[in-house]
Amino acid sequence: MSTAAPTTKTKTIDINVRHVTRLEGHGNIVVRAKDGVIEKNEWQVPEAPRFFEAMVRGRSFEDIQTVVSRICGICSVTHSFAALKAIEDAMDIEVSEQTSILRLLTHYGEQLESHALHVGYLVAPDLLNQKSVVPLAATHADLVKTVVSIHRVGNLVMEKTAGRKTHPIRLLPGGFSMLPSETELRELKQALQDTLPRLETLAAAIADVAGALPSFERDTEYVALVNPPTYPFYEGQIGSTDIDTPTAPADFESVVNEYVHPQSTAKWCKWHRESYAVGALARYNLNADYLQPLAAGAARSLGLTKGACNPFLNNVAQVVECFQVVERSLQLIDVLLSTGITQERPRVTPKAGVGVGAVEAPRGILFHKYEFDDDGICTRANLCIPTNQNHANIQHDFEAFVPQIIDRDQAEVRHLMEMLVRSYDPCISCSTHYLNVEFV
Amino acid sequence: MKPTAIIGMGNPLMSDEGVGIHVIARLQGTALADSIDVLDLGTSGMRALHELEGRDLVVFVDCALMGTEPGTIRRFTPDDVDTKKIQPRLSLHEGDLLNTIALARRLGTSPARIVIFGIEPQMIDPGETLSPELAARLDQYVAAIRQELDGTSTPIA
Repeated sequence: MSTAAPTTKTKTIDINVRHVTRLEGHGNIVVRAKDGVIEKNEWQVPEAPRFFEAMVRGRSFEDIQTVVSRICGICSVTHSFAALKAIEDAMDIEVSEQTSILRLLTHYGEQLESHALHVGYLVAPDLLNQKSVVPLAATHADLVKTVVSIHRVGNLVMEKTAGRKTHPIRLLPGGFSMLPSETELRELKQALQDTLPRLETLAAAIADVAGALPSFERDTEYVALVNPPTYPFYEGQIGSTDIDTPTAPADFESVVNEYVHPQSTAKWCKWHRESYAVGALARYNLNADYLQPLAAGAARSLGLTKGACNPFLNNVAQVVECFQVVERSLQLIDVLLSTGITQERPRVTPKAGVGVGAVEAPRGILFHKYEFDDDGICTRANLCIPTNQNHANIQHDFEAFVPQIIDRDQAEVRHLMEMLVRSYDPCISCSTHYLNVEFV
Repeated sequence: MKPTAIIGMGNPLMSDEGVGIHVIARLQGTALADSIDVLDLGTSGMRALHELEGRDLVVFVDCALMGTEPGTIRRFTPDDVDTKKIQPRLSLHEGDLLNTIALARRLGTSPARIVIFGIEPQMIDPGETLSPELAARLDQYVAAIRQELDGTSTPIA
């Protein structure tokens, strides 16, 4: 990025991007500078949705995944899986290989859906100089239609495997309450095969404009699941680009090290440095060696290389992961079709225990921890969402990025900072949706 | 794709925010024509995009800040209102149903008729039950939607 613009000595920058939602997890960007001197430069996150932890206490282990699926309309499957894995860990519940495969398939559907939404509906308008996806649909109708069709297939996968598009209903501790038919699996296979050329279209469109991404770099610790020789979303240890030996999910509290920071009532996290990043770029940096062929090819054509530390490239890594999850989904469906679907219903006897689930949400690693009594009633819960893990890193990016761009017009500084926050694909304001209207 | 869909939006863990889901659950317990899908789409507004395409009529039920008395239900169309949400587009999660509808219209995938039933909340706080004001009127909300389906709806102020 060029920083050649001359400093305007009398210029004042005053940026205050505020959410107006009344509830949890909204984020504000506040920057003030006078005569080129930065006085305030903050990513403020006033609240976080910790109240869901209280909501699951006193509930049966059989109900928890249903409750937590409502925490977020976009990561509902991931929240369900984090809960199920924690429950199964606490109660020593084994799941069948068929269950693991079907869960992976469901989980890939959510990654595809979320990444397509984020890249297509939030990032593409930035790169193509449109205010939002609505005007983009006028200027780049074919691209938006391609994105919509990819998004639809992600939904279809979740609908056929988990039973419903938004909040899954077939997912249970130990397995599934209902299984897809082989006809449905064939239908999914066809839809996923049809998605591959659409992903090529999306990748080509992003490659054409990737030069518009700021070239800002900051050496960063990246944290994600690792499970060689795979590119994991659902199963693995906690890896970091700063260490060689990963940490067990059971010890996640020694990874996140949550602490209170005065500019945020959402807790911040740090591991080996003052902050770390989670998400698609973290997964890529830790697991790029294990990408499927088309995903690896997409990374090459998009110029993404292991060790990248430009946060804006998280969105490029999301495109690469779209290929990865579609390729893997096709392989998993072939396994299911070759072995046939076995009708099985989980039978689980509750017992007291503590368990942790660590899974990758589209926007980064997610941890759930629960304690249960002898009857399987939850007595304690701790949920650590990926966006909370990124807050401190966003702040440190601000501190490195803003001095590089402070000479620019206020509108441009604001836009670049919004793009930076967007690049993390944050989960803010995720548990409410209500309309706020005036009659005209 | 059935020609008509009734779609509840909202989060039933956030008290009145989830009124659309409560209404849908009650509607699902009543007899409805086979040509009607009844859907709970939770808090993911963008997924509604895929439920608009290929239909004749979509009816949304959602919590709405309208400046009216808590518990009030109002029937309106997307053209009757402007959104007051200020959205810096920092997150996918700040979606607005009206924005999703605008995108569907731009893509030419919007049904001819979209009707929204907005219900004014008393409270939007963590909790799995509706406020007494809204809970007492659930049958009225269901009746309003059934009237819409029967073609006998009149605007409810």
